Amino acid sequence: MLSVQDLHVYYGRIHALKGVSLEVNAGEIVALIGSNGAGKTTTLATLSGLLRPREGRITFEGHDLAHLPAHQIVRLGVVHCPEGRQVFARLTVAENLRLAAAHRTDREGVTRDLARVHALFPILAERRSQYAGTLSGGEQQMLAIARALMSRPRLLLLDEPSLGLAPMVVETIFRVIEALRRDGVTILLVEQNAYRALQLADRAYVMETGYIKVSGPAHALADDPAVKAAYLGG
Amino acid sequence: MLTPSYIAQQFINALNMGSIYALVAIGLTMVYGILRLINFAHGDMMTVGAYLALAALTVLALPAWAALLIPMFVVGALGVLIERLAYRPLRGAPEVAMLITSLAISSLIENGATMTLTAQPKPVRLPAELTQRVDVLGLNFAVMDAAIVALAIALMAALTVFVRRTTIGIAMRACSENVRVTQLMGVDVNRVIAVAFAISAGLAAVAGVLWSGKFGIVDPFMGFVPGLKAFVAAVIGGIGNIPGAMLGGYLLGFAEVFFVAFMPPEVSGYRDAFVFVLLLVVLLVRPTGLLGAREVNRA
Ligand SMILES: Nc1ncnc2c1ncn2[C@@H]1O[C@H](COP(=O)(O)OP(=O)(O)OP(=O)(O)O)[C@@H](O)[C@H]1O
Ligand SMILES: [Mg+2]
Repeated sequence: MLSVQDLHVYYGRIHALKGVSLEVNAGEIVALIGSNGAGKTTTLATLSGLLRPREGRITFEGHDLAHLPAHQIVRLGVVHCPEGRQVFARLTVAENLRLAAAHRTDREGVTRDLARVHALFPILAERRSQYAGTLSGGEQQMLAIARALMSRPRLLLLDEPSLGLAPMVVETIFRVIEALRRDGVTILLVEQNAYRALQLADRAYVMETGYIKVSGPAHALADDPAVKAAYLGG
Repeated sequence: MLTPSYIAQQFINALNMGSIYALVAIGLTMVYGILRLINFAHGDMMTVGAYLALAALTVLALPAWAALLIPMFVVGALGVLIERLAYRPLRGAPEVAMLITSLAISSLIENGATMTLTAQPKPVRLPAELTQRVDVLGLNFAVMDAAIVALAIALMAALTVFVRRTTIGIAMRACSENVRVTQLMGVDVNRVIAVAFAISAGLAAVAGVLWSGKFGIVDPFMGFVPGLKAFVAAVIGGIGNIPGAMLGGYLLGFAEVFFVAFMPPEVSGYRDAFVFVLLLVVLLVRPTGLLGAREVNRA
């Protein structure tokens, strides 16, 4: 479904991605883990068109994403739920959701997805006319995911959805990710909670300072002594 | 001297000036909100609008409504064109690059108008139905005065509905928070910016037409002072905030007109200085302006 080959990305002179290659197959959950500053967020931002690679290829179902503007990438079904929630604080919850679906032409589909999102996160229905900036951190993360769903993702790029949240909310988020998998959404998941990510994922990539260090089936990585020592706390 | 009818007259004047400042300030604040650009060529959109209206009235002998609509749409399109050719290539460059470009566009328009139309102010003769004076509730004013206020309020009401209710309006507010993330929603940000420039320039053109109608004159530099004052109004209201620009426009109109009306002649000549003192006072008390950047983000 998604194929990334030898991606090189720079911030000015900083060489942030030094030849990243990865694959995501339809229906999979693929985890991307690694320490702070490894380049996980940079990888997702390049896939979604916010950053341009200097070298490398990104193909999604035959489309070359490396040269498409970000809004067209969304329309192909590659939806990026960014790190740090990034909801629009001065729009209401309902407006945040409406904006994410604005490019869609299937009105019934939008109505259906809104109902589904409200079923997944009932609190958002309750808060619908409240400014997103007044939501709690956990509610904002739910809104960020809900918003991504309103764009009808076929490949969802999730960046650290559980960061800084209370355990209860983390459980909700992981339950939703499982529900999405059952609905056939393919997911590329960046997580600092490597243990949970490897439990959930089919396959995983471990990044280190700009390149992929190890990859393989998630359960195999979870048992790998080197991965354990570095990312799972021994 | 401070008779009720004098005060009433000043009140109408203040409403007129406030309406015009508000229309100009809205466009400055919209564009600043999205691009962080202080658009120095904004006042010149007033000038172009006023010349187009004059041409429509005299050369083409069109009725007054056409002399309003033509500038609004033509200058709206001009705003889109300028954004496309001059500002879009600078997206991502330091903000000062766009600011300097807008200065260049401003001087291009002012000097272009001077060379082709001379710096000589041209008189504007309004159709008789607009200069006619009427008495309503003891107030005596020209039809033009009422038209300025009514038109400004109608346009601002329409804009408010547009920004609050339509998808493009929501996208515009989203862009003013974060352009990158707005793209991730599947929004074509270039389209949103083009619409913002169209509205911004179109409203400035209307303001220019009204200004030239009120003062009966058009010249190549006529947009400079109101453009500057509209900038002050936008900052007073909280730059980037559209209701703030409306509020700031009227506040400034009232403050300025009543300063001139009530101060002795030796002092009232400092009206422009007074406007900037007012700005300083507001910014000292509320650094983000009256309605600017209310912190709603707690996470
Ligand atoms: N805007 C930027 N300008 C310059 N350097 C940047 C920028 N964003 C990221 N970097 C650098 O690129 C590298 C990769 O950063 P990135 O944010 O992709 O890491 P990450 O794996 O997502 O880390 P974290 O787990 O902390 O979120 C880091 O060294 C970072 O300092
Ligand atoms: Mg990151």
